[in-house]
Amino acid sequence: MLAELINPYHFQVASFILINIILGISVYITLSTGQLSLANAGFMGIGAYTSALLTIHFDLPIVLGIIAGALVAALLGILIGIPTLRLQGVYLAIVTLGFGEVIRVVFINWESLTKGSVGISGIPHIGREILRVLKGFGFDPKVLGLQNNQFIFLSIFLLLFIITIGVIWFFRRQHRSRVGRAFAAIKLDEKAAESMGINITYYKVLAFAQGALLSGFAGALYAHVLAYISPADFAYHRAVEILIFVVFGGSEVIWGPIFGAFFLTLMPEVLRFISEYRYMIYGLIIIILMAVRPQGLIDVNILNWVKSKGRKRGQKHGTGNTKSM
Amino acid sequence: MLIEQLINGITLGSIYAIVALGFTLVFGVLGIINMAHGEIFMFGAFIGVLVTTSLQLPLWLGFLAAILITAVMGYMLERFALRPLRHKQGVSHLAPLISTIGVSILLENLSHHLFGAGNHPFRASFAEINFQIGSITIYLVQIVIFVISVILMMSLSFWLGKTKAGKALRATAENLETASLLGVDTKRIITMTVIIASAMGGIAGILVGMAFNSVTPQMGLSMGLKGLAIIILGGMGNVKGAMAGGLILGLAETFIVVYGDSGYRDAIAFLAIIVILLIRPQGLFGQKIST
Repeated sequence: MLAELINPYHFQVASFILINIILGISVYITLSTGQLSLANAGFMGIGAYTSALLTIHFDLPIVLGIIAGALVAALLGILIGIPTLRLQGVYLAIVTLGFGEVIRVVFINWESLTKGSVGISGIPHIGREILRVLKGFGFDPKVLGLQNNQFIFLSIFLLLFIITIGVIWFFRRQHRSRVGRAFAAIKLDEKAAESMGINITYYKVLAFAQGALLSGFAGALYAHVLAYISPADFAYHRAVEILIFVVFGGSEVIWGPIFGAFFLTLMPEVLRFISEYRYMIYGLIIIILMAVRPQGLIDVNILNWVKSKGRKRGQKHGTGNTKSM
Repeated sequence: MLIEQLINGITLGSIYAIVALGFTLVFGVLGIINMAHGEIFMFGAFIGVLVTTSLQLPLWLGFLAAILITAVMGYMLERFALRPLRHKQGVSHLAPLISTIGVSILLENLSHHLFGAGNHPFRASFAEINFQIGSITIYLVQIVIFVISVILMMSLSFWLGKTKAGKALRATAENLETASLLGVDTKRIITMTVIIASAMGGIAGILVGMAFNSVTPQMGLSMGLKGLAIIILGGMGNVKGAMAGGLILGLAETFIVVYGDSGYRDAIAFLAIIVILLIRPQGLFGQKIST
């Protein structure tokens, strides 16, 4: 019964949606202080390569590899962030764009380590690893009536789902905390925020490093889900794609990038005939959105509207929980 | 050997300078980084290929067609991607940047569909003609590129410095509102600036096609990124800085191919700007901005 429901391809797509959601949030976090970073694809590459190389050459467990990848990306984020965050918005965008390009060139040219533009294959696969460990405990997917293959994709999806929920939960909490309020104040007016006693450099670097950490983390996950990476995966187009998730969905609330990543990853898969024109449509979407709705599809007003709708319906049926009223 | 490399570097650098001028004009007047400039440049190169190689028409017609079409593209860019954002309340200063990124994605993929992803050779009839001076070989193509670039830069400098329209443009760049109070039709100036910048990109496209004998849809991106690096290097919105920055980058790239590791050629531009931004954020020729 369960076996018929699970199509590995659907779960593969779902896993990419989840990874893209994490990437979208990584840009959203940096943008929430009013800084546009286009280096997230580069940080993603750093995370992916670090984790892949560590697990291949040093037989590190995948979990440690992913953590190491995220940390190295965050460290680089701080190193790049401290000097560049003194710059104004447009300069920062260009420097981060250039940084991503430098990383790509290094990946291509450091052939002894990264195998150049061929890319690295044979990266330990999370799903297979989970299956191996569970089999060590005497577990067999057949108990659930699943093929090994189906179980692998199901486990990846569940793992990523839990991780993504955790990430969303954390950043929603952060948004309502002191840090989140500081980010919002800096976005609205840096000078005013500074005069209120907010250490803007600290918070800007923090946001930048969080973005780097998150994209490095997503990159490491990407490497272990796909088991193959190449420099082209982390080039300018990836950076723009991540940016579009945020621009399309909305950069004001965390649900924006989540919706953007979900919709824009799913759309080319569902509408196969579109995928050839996908990037042209992306381009048009950006131009039209910037002219018509620069804050993206989802903003605070829409969220409030959805909430009030939900509340009304709750009242009508008398099942609304008292907390939300 | 050294002198030949110097010539190669200057040829490359003068092309870079023209690309960067397109960026710097738009930034100077509008304060916007036009991310689509590289793709407009690439379209100019493709128009050149179409006219000279596919239609077998003379080169000057290629230039004319490229200028016309890229100028029209510049107008469309201004009309549909930039103008709707101007004077709109609550638009973040990043909106025009993102909007032009949208245009660049659209154009790059459009050219994939129109021209194919492959490499198109650019055949100039005089590609093989060269001169021997002592042990040095100079190709006629290099001279043509250099001369066209210099003419272009000189006429731009003259136009900006001496003509009424050029003065109006500089006034608009200085302060849009004051210029408009003083009777400058700023709307027209802005449109004109984007059109001129785009047409220069189209010319640069043909020059690059001649220099490297190849045109691909990806060339816009790499050239666009380098153009951005150059205007940071020379100082944002600074015309002389863009020219000098272009030459510096062209020479640096040529020499790293000869004396260093050619694979890192594309990274120099960005390493240079990261260093520049740390030491002298206003660029080599920029004025210190007091904040």
